[in-house]
Amino acid sequence: MSLPIELALVALFVPAAMAVLLALVPPLRRTGRPAAWLSVLAATVSLGAAVWLFADQLAHPTRDLLESVAWLPHAGASMADVGLRIDGISVGMTLVVTLVAFCVQVFSLDYMRSEPDADLGRYFAYHSFFIFSMLMLVLAPNLLQLFFGWELVGLTSYLLIGFYFKKPSAAKAAVKAFWVTKLADTGLLLALLVLYSHTGGFEWTSHPGADVATLVTLLLFVAVVGKSAQFPLHVWLPDAMEGPTPVSALLHAATMVAAGVYLIVRTDPLFAQAALTREVMVYIGSFTAIFAAVIACVQTDIKKVLAYSTCSQLGYMVAALGAGSVMGGYFHLTTHAFFKALLFLGAGSVIHAVHSNEMSDMGGLWGRMKLTGTVFLVGSISLAGMPFTAGFFSKDLILESMLESGRLLPWLALLGAAFLTAFYMGRVFFLVFLGKRSEKAEHAHEGGWEMRLPLVLLAIPALLGGYFGAHFAGMWHLDYEPEWNLQAFAPSLVPILGFVAAWSMYGRGEARPAPAMLAPIARLARSGALDHFYEGVYRVLGLKLAAAVGFFDRYIVDGLINLAGYLTLTGGQRVRRLQSGNVRDYVFVVAFAIFALSAFGMLR
Amino acid sequence: MPLAAWLILAAGLFSIGLYGVASRRGAIGILLSVELMANAVNLIFIAFGRYRGDHLGQVFTLFAVALTVAEVAIGLALVILLHRVRRSDERVDEVRELHG
Repeated sequence: MSLPIELALVALFVPAAMAVLLALVPPLRRTGRPAAWLSVLAATVSLGAAVWLFADQLAHPTRDLLESVAWLPHAGASMADVGLRIDGISVGMTLVVTLVAFCVQVFSLDYMRSEPDADLGRYFAYHSFFIFSMLMLVLAPNLLQLFFGWELVGLTSYLLIGFYFKKPSAAKAAVKAFWVTKLADTGLLLALLVLYSHTGGFEWTSHPGADVATLVTLLLFVAVVGKSAQFPLHVWLPDAMEGPTPVSALLHAATMVAAGVYLIVRTDPLFAQAALTREVMVYIGSFTAIFAAVIACVQTDIKKVLAYSTCSQLGYMVAALGAGSVMGGYFHLTTHAFFKALLFLGAGSVIHAVHSNEMSDMGGLWGRMKLTGTVFLVGSISLAGMPFTAGFFSKDLILESMLESGRLLPWLALLGAAFLTAFYMGRVFFLVFLGKRSEKAEHAHEGGWEMRLPLVLLAIPALLGGYFGAHFAGMWHLDYEPEWNLQAFAPSLVPILGFVAAWSMYGRGEARPAPAMLAPIARLARSGALDHFYEGVYRVLGLKLAAAVGFFDRYIVDGLINLAGYLTLTGGQRVRRLQSGNVRDYVFVVAFAIFALSAFGMLR
Repeated sequence: MPLAAWLILAAGLFSIGLYGVASRRGAIGILLSVELMANAVNLIFIAFGRYRGDHLGQVFTLFAVALTVAEVAIGLALVILLHRVRRSDERVDEVRELHG
C-alpha cells in the first residue's frame, strides 16, 4: 500500500471511528463538549491527512491511483470492487471537504454552545459521520461505491436538517429534503441497473454505446437535479435552512449539494458520449442559475438568500458541465465551496449575534462586527465574481466556455445571473452591515475565537483560490491562462454593475420593497406554487397509487393467504368428525383397511 | 405338516383375535385378543422361516415378542390408569374424551 492510499484511509476512517465511538458510547456522547472536541480532533487528523495528500498530489499532478478489493467474491467472481481512487479530482475534493468540515466543526464549538450536552454530542457525531460519508462518495472507484456514499450523505443531511426535531417546521423540512432527494436518487439506482445490465460493471469509463450512455446519463442527471437542487427539484434546499447554520454551510452550500456536480465531473467519460444529456444540462442549469438568482433578490431571510444563491451557483456548474467544460464545473465547485461556506458562517456569526434570521432585525452591524463584516464582504465579492477573487476565475471560465460552445441564450442567462448575484449579495451586505441599527442589533458582538478562526481560514481560499486554476487544468491536460482580453471584460464589468445597482437601491441600509419588475416573481416565490403543484401531484397520483397498491395488497395478496387458511380450517372442521373417540370404530377402520389392502394385493 | 396348514391355523387365530377386539367391551379382553393376533403373526413368521429353510423367521419372531412385551406393558398401564381415574369397570366404549 502506497502513501497516498494510507493517507486517504486515515482521512476516511478516523472520522468514521469517531462517529461509531460517539454513537455506541452514549455516556461519552452525553458529555457534550469533550465529545465535541474529540470530533474536532478527528476532523483535524482528517484534514491533516488531506493536506498531506494534496501536497503529494501537487508533486505528481497526473498521478492516478486505484487500490481496490473484490466486493463479496463468490466462486472467483464479484459484482464490483470496493476501494479508493486517488487522482487530482478526488484529492482536490477531499481537501475541500475536510477543510470546510474542519472549519464548520470549530465554528460550531461556539455557535452551538448553548445546546444541551446530549444534543451537542449528537450534533458532532453526525458531523464526524458526514466526513466519512462524503469522503466515501468522493474517493469511490466506481458508481456502486459512490452510490453508497451518496445515500449516506443524504441520510446525514436528513439527520442534520432535522437536528431541532422538536420544532415541527424542522422535522417537516428534514422529511421533505429526504423525500425529494430520495425520489431523485431512484434515477441513480436505475442508472446503475442499466449500466450493469449493459456492461456488467459500474465503471464510468465504460463505453456502452451512445443510446445506453444517453439513457444512463439522463438517469444520473435526475439524481443530480435532486441532490444539487436544480429546477424543478430545488424546493427542498430553501427549507433545509431549518437546520443549524453551520450545517447549512457544510452540507447545503459547500459539499453535499455539490455531490451532484461532483458526480457529473467523475462520470464525465459517460456524459461525453451523450450529447442529448449535455444539452438538457445546459438549459436546466442556466435556467436554474437565473431563476434562483431572481428569487434570491426578494428574500428577507439571510439564509434563504444564500440558499437560493447556492441553487443558482450549482446551476452555473451544471450548465458548464453541459457545455463540456469539466474543468469549469469542477473549478467553480471548489471555489464556491469556500466562499459559500464563508458566507454561511458569516451569516451564522450575525445570526448568533442578533438571534434572528430576518435582515430587518440586523442593520448597521459594521461598527459592532468588523471581522464578520470584512469576511462577509470578501465572500460576497468572490461569489459575485469581482476581478481577482476566486469566484471571478471560475465564473469567467464558465461564461467563456459557454460562449465558445456557441449557445448564446444560456450565456445571456448566466450573465444575467452574474449581475443578479452581485445585486442580491450587495443588497444583503448593505442591509446587514450598513444603515441604522435595529433594536436587536444594539447588543451584537463578535463570537469567540472558535467562530472567528474559521472565518479567517475560509476567507483566504475564498479570495485566492482562483490561482489554483492552473493546477486543475493540469489534471485534464488543458492550458489554462486567465486572459485579460475583451472576452473577460463583460464578466468583470457585470458584478460591478450589480453592486452599483444594489448600492443605489439599498446603499443606505434601508429595506425597500423589491423592484416593480421583480414583484410578480416575489409573489410567485412566496406562494410556493411549485410546492403546491407537488402536493397536488402527491394527492392526485401518489395517494391514488398508494390506495391501489394497498387494495391489491389487502385483498389480492392477503386474500390468497387468507383463502389458504380458511380452506385448511374448514377442511379440518369436517375431518375431525372421523375421530369419534370410540376404540371400536378405530378397530373397524383398521380391520377394513387390512381386508381392503389384502383384496387389492390379491386382485392386482 | 404342509405350510398351508400352518397358515390356516394362523389365519384362524388371527380372526379369533380380531373378533375378540371387535366384540369385547372390556379393556383386558381387548388386550388379550390383540395378543392373540400378534401371536398368529409370529406363527406365520416361523412357518415361513421353516418353509424357506433358514432362521430368519425365528429371528423376526424374537424381535416381535420383545416388542409385544413393551406394548403389553403400555397397554396394561393404560388399563390401570383408566381404572384409577374412572373408579369403575373398564368399558372402553364409554371412554370418548379424545373424540373430534
